[in-house]
Amino acid sequence: MLIHVGEAWADDPVFNETLRRRQESFVKILVCMKQVPQKDAPLKLNEGGTWIREDVSYEVNEPDAYALEEALRQKEKHSGEVVVITSGPARASQVLREALAKGADRAIHLEDNAFVGLDAYNTARAFAAAIKDEKFDLIFTGLQSDDYGYAQTGVILAELLGWPHATIIMQIEKQDAGIRVKRELEAGFFQFVDMPLPAVLTIQSGINKLRYATLIGIKQAKNKPMRKVTMAEVQTAIGENLQKIEKLYIPQKTKKTEMIQGSPGEMAKKLVEKLRNEVRVL
Amino acid sequence: MLVFRTPLENIDRPQMEADVVIVGGGPAGMACALRLSQLIDEHNSKNPDAPLSKENIYVLEKAREIGQHCLSGALLDPRSMRELLPGFEKEAPLDAQCNKEGVYFLTKNGKFKLPITPPPLRDHGNYVISINKFVKWLGSKVEETGITIFTGFAGSQLLYDGNRVAGVRTDDKGVDKENHPKSNFEPGYDLKAKITILAEGTRGSLTKELINKFDLAKDRNPQTYGVGVKELWEVPSGRIAPGEVIYTMGWPLTTKKYGGAWIYGSKDNLVSLGFVIGLDYPDPRLDPQHVLQDFKQHPFVAKLLEGGKMIRYGAKSMPYGGWWAVPPVAGDGWMILGDSAGLVNSQRLKGIHLAIKSGMLAAETAFEALKKNEASAATLNEYQKKVDSSWIKDELWKVRNFHQAFEKGFLNGMFHAGLQQFTGGRGLWNRYPAHAGHERMEKLSQLPADGGSEAHLLGPAKGDGKLTFDKLTDLYHSGTKHEEDQPSHLVIADTNVCNARCAKEYGGPCQNFCPANVYELVDDATQPHGKRISLNPANCVHCKTCDIADPYQIITWVPPEGGGGPNYDGM
Amino acid sequence: MILVIVEQREGKLNRVSWETLTAGQAIAAETGWPLEAAVVGGSVAAIAAEVAGKKVAKVSAVESAKLEPYTPDSFAAALKQFIESKQPKLVLMPHTYQVRDFVPKLATAMGRTVISDAIGYKKEGEKMVFTRQMFQGKFVADVSFAGDAPWFVTFQNGAFRGDKVEAGAAAAPVETVAVEIADGVVRNKPQEVFKEAKQAVDLTQAEVIVAVGRGIKEQKNIEIAKQLAEALGGELAASRPICDSGWLPMDRQIGSSGQTVAPKLYLALGISGAIQHIVGMKGARTIVAVNKDSEAPIFEIADYAVVGNLFEVVPPLIEEIKKAKAGA
Repeated sequence: MLIHVGEAWADDPVFNETLRRRQESFVKILVCMKQVPQKDAPLKLNEGGTWIREDVSYEVNEPDAYALEEALRQKEKHSGEVVVITSGPARASQVLREALAKGADRAIHLEDNAFVGLDAYNTARAFAAAIKDEKFDLIFTGLQSDDYGYAQTGVILAELLGWPHATIIMQIEKQDAGIRVKRELEAGFFQFVDMPLPAVLTIQSGINKLRYATLIGIKQAKNKPMRKVTMAEVQTAIGENLQKIEKLYIPQKTKKTEMIQGSPGEMAKKLVEKLRNEVRVL
Repeated sequence: MLVFRTPLENIDRPQMEADVVIVGGGPAGMACALRLSQLIDEHNSKNPDAPLSKENIYVLEKAREIGQHCLSGALLDPRSMRELLPGFEKEAPLDAQCNKEGVYFLTKNGKFKLPITPPPLRDHGNYVISINKFVKWLGSKVEETGITIFTGFAGSQLLYDGNRVAGVRTDDKGVDKENHPKSNFEPGYDLKAKITILAEGTRGSLTKELINKFDLAKDRNPQTYGVGVKELWEVPSGRIAPGEVIYTMGWPLTTKKYGGAWIYGSKDNLVSLGFVIGLDYPDPRLDPQHVLQDFKQHPFVAKLLEGGKMIRYGAKSMPYGGWWAVPPVAGDGWMILGDSAGLVNSQRLKGIHLAIKSGMLAAETAFEALKKNEASAATLNEYQKKVDSSWIKDELWKVRNFHQAFEKGFLNGMFHAGLQQFTGGRGLWNRYPAHAGHERMEKLSQLPADGGSEAHLLGPAKGDGKLTFDKLTDLYHSGTKHEEDQPSHLVIADTNVCNARCAKEYGGPCQNFCPANVYELVDDATQPHGKRISLNPANCVHCKTCDIADPYQIITWVPPEGGGGPNYDGM
Repeated sequence: MILVIVEQREGKLNRVSWETLTAGQAIAAETGWPLEAAVVGGSVAAIAAEVAGKKVAKVSAVESAKLEPYTPDSFAAALKQFIESKQPKLVLMPHTYQVRDFVPKLATAMGRTVISDAIGYKKEGEKMVFTRQMFQGKFVADVSFAGDAPWFVTFQNGAFRGDKVEAGAAAAPVETVAVEIADGVVRNKPQEVFKEAKQAVDLTQAEVIVAVGRGIKEQKNIEIAKQLAEALGGELAASRPICDSGWLPMDRQIGSSGQTVAPKLYLALGISGAIQHIVGMKGARTIVAVNKDSEAPIFEIADYAVVGNLFEVVPPLIEEIKKAKAGA
C-alpha cells in the first residue's frame, strides 16, 4: 500500500503512527462462497435420481452472505483486502459478481461443471490448490450450505492448510497477537477463544444485517479482477470422492393420522398418554 | 398500524449521470437496449474517432433476476424479432411452433368448437414461448453488448426539471416497517438521465405518475384492463401436442362478462393455461383466481389436466383499451414503450411483438438524440411520429374499437367486432367510447345477495388440492418473496374509506380481485362495520390489479424494495 | 468394530450420546460387528463407568490434561492416535456443535471423510448406506462410503431413541488410554463458557415447539399457548399472520418466510395448515394439531388430530402434562 506524501506530512509523528497502524492492521481475508438453488424453488430429481435438475434459479448460499458481510466489516475496520472464491459452472460467477458489487476486491472462480459433483474434501483441496500462492490472514466460510448442509468445507480447509480454526463465530476482535472470537455453543452458551493468525472461521448467520450492493458498486464490480481457474489446474490436488450419493429421493412419509376423541378433558388425558408413551417428550 | 412506503425526505442521495435510463427489463426495455446497442456499434465502426459510449446507458429491473417478473401465455408473433435479430429463431428459446388452433365455446358440461377459427386468432407462424425464458435470453444478449442491467433496482420516482423529465430515482433499500432507515439502509440513487424510457409493463407506476402529472390522458379513452391468472402444468405425455393452441369463451363466465381462457401446449409435456377476465365486471365478490379454478373443472379441461401437476402460478393485468387509450408516447426527456403505453392488440391477444417494435423505434430516436447530444421534446417526438407511421399503428388501428363494444356484453361485442372486421376497424363510429373498468363495479345493495347466476364465481375458491387450489396454495407456487421488514408498497390514500365505506358498500372487493391474498378485511369491533383493512404486502405478485380495479381509486401500487416479487421461472 | 464416541462437556455426559449408542447397538446387531465406546476428556473415569453400564463390549477413557478444556486441535490429535490404534470400521458421533467443530478435521487428518447429520442407515448387501436430509429437508439422500475404513458418521439429534439404549448384562470393562499431545499442537485458547440471553430465538434447536395460528383469535390468548410451551419445556412459535400482526416477534415465525424446523414434537394450535406454513414444519418427528375445523389441511400431516376448540382443550392439557411430569 503506497501513499505519496508531501514533505510537510512526512515528518508528522501522528500521521506516521496512524499510517503504521493502518499498514500493520491491514488484513487479507478470503471468503469461500457457494451458489445454491433458490430456497423456495420447486426442485425436481434428475433422470438417474442422483441429483436435482439444474434448470432452476440459483442464489448465494445465505450463510455465505453473512460470512462476506463480516469480512467486509473487518476490512472497513482495519483496512484490508477481501477476496471471494467459489467453484462451479459459469452461472456461479453471479455469486462472485454480487460480492464484488458489495465491496470485495478480487474474485477467484474455479469454473467447471465437474466441480459440482465434488465432495467437501475435494472442494477444500481444490480451494487450497487455487490459493497456494496467496497469503491470507483469515479465511471465512458460511456455517453450512443450504443444499448439502454438511458444515465441513471450512474445517477441512483449515486442516489442509495446517491452520487453527473455530466454528459458528459470532464476533471477531483483533488483538495484538491474533484474534479473539466469540463462539456460539448450544442452549444459549457462548465462549471466547483466543487464536493466532492465520486462521479459518465459519461464521454464524444472522449476526449482522446484510448490506445492499449499490449502483456504483455494481458498475465498479465489472472492472475488478476475476481470476478463472480450470479443473486442469487443480486436478493433481484432488482425488476420487470418498463418499457417494447413491440415490436422492423425496422423503415418503407413511403418515397415519390418529384421531383423539372425547370431551376436552378426556382428549387431554389421551393426548398426554401418547406424549408420554409414544412420543416420549414427558 | 399500517405504514405506507413513501420516499424518505432530507437524505443525501447519491447522484449518477446517465445518457439513457430504461425503466423495466421486459421485452420492450430489452429490445430497446439491444437496438440502441446495435445502432451505437454500427456508428462506432464507421466513426472510430468519435465513438458513442454505452457506459452510461442503463436498464433498471426491479426483479432479482432478469425475466423473473415476466408473465404471459405466451404466443409470439415473430415479426418484430425478425427485424431486431434476423435469424433469431435459431438461438432463441422457442418452445413450439403453433400448428393447431381451436376456438371453443363452453357451456357447463359441453363444448362447441367454432367451425372456422376467426382470423385474428389464427396463430400459424407464431411461437409458443415462455416470456420469462425469452426475456432471460434477450437480456443475456443485451449484457453481452455491454449495456448494464441493474437487477434488484426499481424506478420509484421520476425526477423533474421544470416540465422536463430529468431522470429516475431508484428505491430506498433497508427501510423498516415504520418507514425508518435500518442499519443497512441504502438511499435510492438519483439517476440524472438525458433520456428516460418507461418500459414498466402493464399499469406502470412511473407511467401513471407521468400521465397524471401532465394530464396525458385528456383526449384519450380511459385505459381499460383485464387480469390474466395463469397456471403452468406438467401433464402426462400425449395429452396435448406442443404448439396446440386452444381458446375458450363462455363458461364459467356469463354473457355479461368479457373474458376467456387460453390453453397452449408447450414442450416437455408442459401446458400453459389461464383465464383472462376484464376488470370491469359488476360484482365486487368476483374472484378471478376462483374463475380459473372453475374453468379447470369443465370436463374438457379436467381431462386434459388429469394426473398432471401444477408447477407454477401467477397473475398479471393487461391493457385492453386499444389505440384510443394510448397516451402521447414521447415528451420532454421521456418516451413510453409497450404495455406501459397500452400497445396491445386486444383482438389478437398479443402485445409482445408490439412491445419489441416500440422498443426498437424508441432506440432509433434515442440514438439520434445521443448523436445530436440533446433530448428535447421535439427530438424525442420523432418516436411518436415513428410509432404513428409504423405497422404498430396499422395493426392497432384496425382493432381500435374492438374491446369497447364488449362493455355492453358478449353478444354486443361480437356483433360490433364482426362489423369492424369489414370496415377496417371503424364499425359504426370511428371512435367508440370507453369507461374505466372500476366505475362499472356495482354496490352490493344493487346485486342479488346470493350472487344470482354468478354465484359460482364469487368468493374464494376452496380447491381440492389436485385439480383446483385455494388461493394461498396457488400463491405458494408463484414463488413470491419480499423483504418482510419494509413499509407497505400498496399505498392506500385513506384507510377510513376501506373501513367505514367500502366494507359496507362493496364488501372489500380487494379481497377477491387480488390474486395474491394481499388484502383482508379482518374483524375489528372498534370499526363502524366491524371490519378493518389488513395487508400482507409480502404476498404481492406485482400484477397491478388493485391499482386498476379498486372502485374508490385510493390504492396506488408503488414498487417495493427492489429484488422482491414473484419468481416466474418458466412462465 | 463400531466405535461410538460419547460426548462430555465439563465432566457431564451429553445425553444425546445415548442416541448414538442406540444407533451403534442397532448396527452391531445387524452387522455382527462388535461395539465399543469411548469418552474423551481430561479425566473421564466416572462417565466411562456410566457408559459401561450399557450393552457394549468395552469402554475406553481417552485422557490427557490437554483435553480439558475442549479444543479441536487436542480432540483431533487424541482421537487420531486412538482410532489408529483401534482400527474400527465405523466411528459414530452425535451431530453436536462440538462434533461439527472437530470431526471434519479429524477425518481429514486421517485421509478419511465424514457423512454428517445422518438420520438413519441401511445395510444394502455388504454396504452400509447412510440417509441424510438435503436441500433443507426437501429430499433425502442415501450416501455410501467410497474409500477405506474407518468411516465417520454423525447422527442428527433425535434420529435415534436415546431411551431405547440397551443396558448391559454386566458392566463392560473400562480401559484408560493416555494419549500424548505434544506442546504446540493446541493453538486455540478457549476462555470460560458463559450463558447469555440470546438476541434472537433459534427455533431450529428446540425439541418441542408449540405454535399458534389464527385460531388463537386475540393477542391475549397467546398466554395459554405460552403456558403449554412452558409445561412441555418447549418454545413458542407462530404462523405468519400472528407475527404480521405483531403479536409475536418475527423470529418466532415458522414457514416459507420464517424458520424451517424439525423438532421432536410440534403442537399446532389453531393453525389451518396453509402450504406456506407446512413447508416450515413438516419435517417434525411428531405433529399434533388442534383445530376446530375438521377439514383443516393441517390434519393431513398430523400424527395426532384433536378436532376441538383449543380454548377448551389446552387448559386441561396443561394440567395433565404437569401431573405427568410431577408424578412419574
